[in-house]
Amino acid sequence: MKKGVFQICYCKKCNNTIWPPREICHICNSKSDWKKSTNFGKILEFSKKESMYFGLIEIDDGIRILGNITSTSSPKVGQLVRMNVSFNSKPNYSFIVENN
Amino acid sequence: MNKVAIVSTGQTKFSKDNGDVEKLLFESASNCIQSTNNCDLKDVEGVIVSTNNNSKYLGAILSETMGIRPKISHSIEHLCSSGTNAIISAYAYISSGLSDIMLISGAESATNPGQVLEWDKSRGSLEHPIYWGSMLTKSHKRKFETTEEELAIVSAKNHKQAMDNPFAYSNEPRTISEVMNSKQITEDLRILDCSRSCSGSSSILLASEEKAKALSDQPVWITGIGQKTMSASFTKNILGEIESTRIAADSTYKMAKIEPRNIDVAEVHDAFSVCELMAISELGMTSNEKSGEFVRNLFNTENRMINPRGGLIGAGHPLGATGISQTIEITNQLQGKSDRRQISNAETGLIHNMSAAGTSSSIMVLQN
Repeated sequence: MKKGVFQICYCKKCNNTIWPPREICHICNSKSDWKKSTNFGKILEFSKKESMYFGLIEIDDGIRILGNITSTSSPKVGQLVRMNVSFNSKPNYSFIVENN
Repeated sequence: MNKVAIVSTGQTKFSKDNGDVEKLLFESASNCIQSTNNCDLKDVEGVIVSTNNNSKYLGAILSETMGIRPKISHSIEHLCSSGTNAIISAYAYISSGLSDIMLISGAESATNPGQVLEWDKSRGSLEHPIYWGSMLTKSHKRKFETTEEELAIVSAKNHKQAMDNPFAYSNEPRTISEVMNSKQITEDLRILDCSRSCSGSSSILLASEEKAKALSDQPVWITGIGQKTMSASFTKNILGEIESTRIAADSTYKMAKIEPRNIDVAEVHDAFSVCELMAISELGMTSNEKSGEFVRNLFNTENRMINPRGGLIGAGHPLGATGISQTIEITNQLQGKSDRRQISNAETGLIHNMSAAGTSSSIMVLQN
């Protein structure tokens, strides 16, 4: 994530998505591995603080994340967004509305 | 299982002052012990402290400062519902026969940063509760056509009711218009929609049936308990629902052998205005669609059956003390000791306490 890449943690044995990431699968106790995210998701809900929109986004494999939303107009529930990530002592997620 | 009763209570006034958690615990515990009929401290077999404060060994510290040498002493932390979790743990000690008399004390300092759950990485940098509060509020407005005015009524009602609570943080009345025009924190939350962190402490003494009648003329019985944890991550919640509350309520009603319509008075966890609307729906008192109208009717008829002490919004929210103060209010109501807040002929009351956007809930039913 420090390199701006978001990876999805999943179980190598049962293919279960593990979110937040952990080394061991909570269903079958096998070791987890990583796969690249598509970095695309959809807006489940949103609000606005000062001039910044933020919201709850669902990306690949049902992973849900709270993050800032960049949009030139009011976002819409169900709208497609692209995720950017960075890490500075804690993860920071931001989403850009596609076809803005 | 042994029956378990609440036999005495004690509180400090909630305030924005930065309180010393050890002193706060001592103050409410002393008030609690002094209000019993001749409690011999040698008979107190357990001391449980409920807090999100980082201070260590508080169960033993409170025991020493109170002059108690209990068999059992420890702390309990479970974010905003630490208080009811501590009471329920003490209930388990007594009902199982491991203890006969337990002191439960909760406290928090206004500057404690415990309201932020750093583990939940799915919140990214949006860790503060206002972000999930905004999501729940926007979703309620979208799904159930809840209006800004209906949300403001929750806050206006609870501020009004807190005026008659001598321990409340706020004794200021707030009109619906004042709430609606208060500072906008986000597009969906105003400052007066939010409960406030504060300093405060509350204590309760529990006893077995055998001991209860000697300690109190009006023991209040814990007859129903339900708890449920769905997750720790807010983002796993289904927006528009508090599933943990619904499941815990079902267990509570079954244990107490009652239905929602039997509840005369309830303290519910109004961390934000929308949480009261969601709680009363999940508790089966109304539906999400009608929850705004339900609260409006309470406000217009001055019916204080929901959050008579002012809830978290009016009374303040010192995390570790909140669930215990909620329980004290219902105890006082069932004893007929709530003065101007009194619900007439209250026989059955409910406490609803939850944590981290309702990812977990603890519920109790009390009866006199």
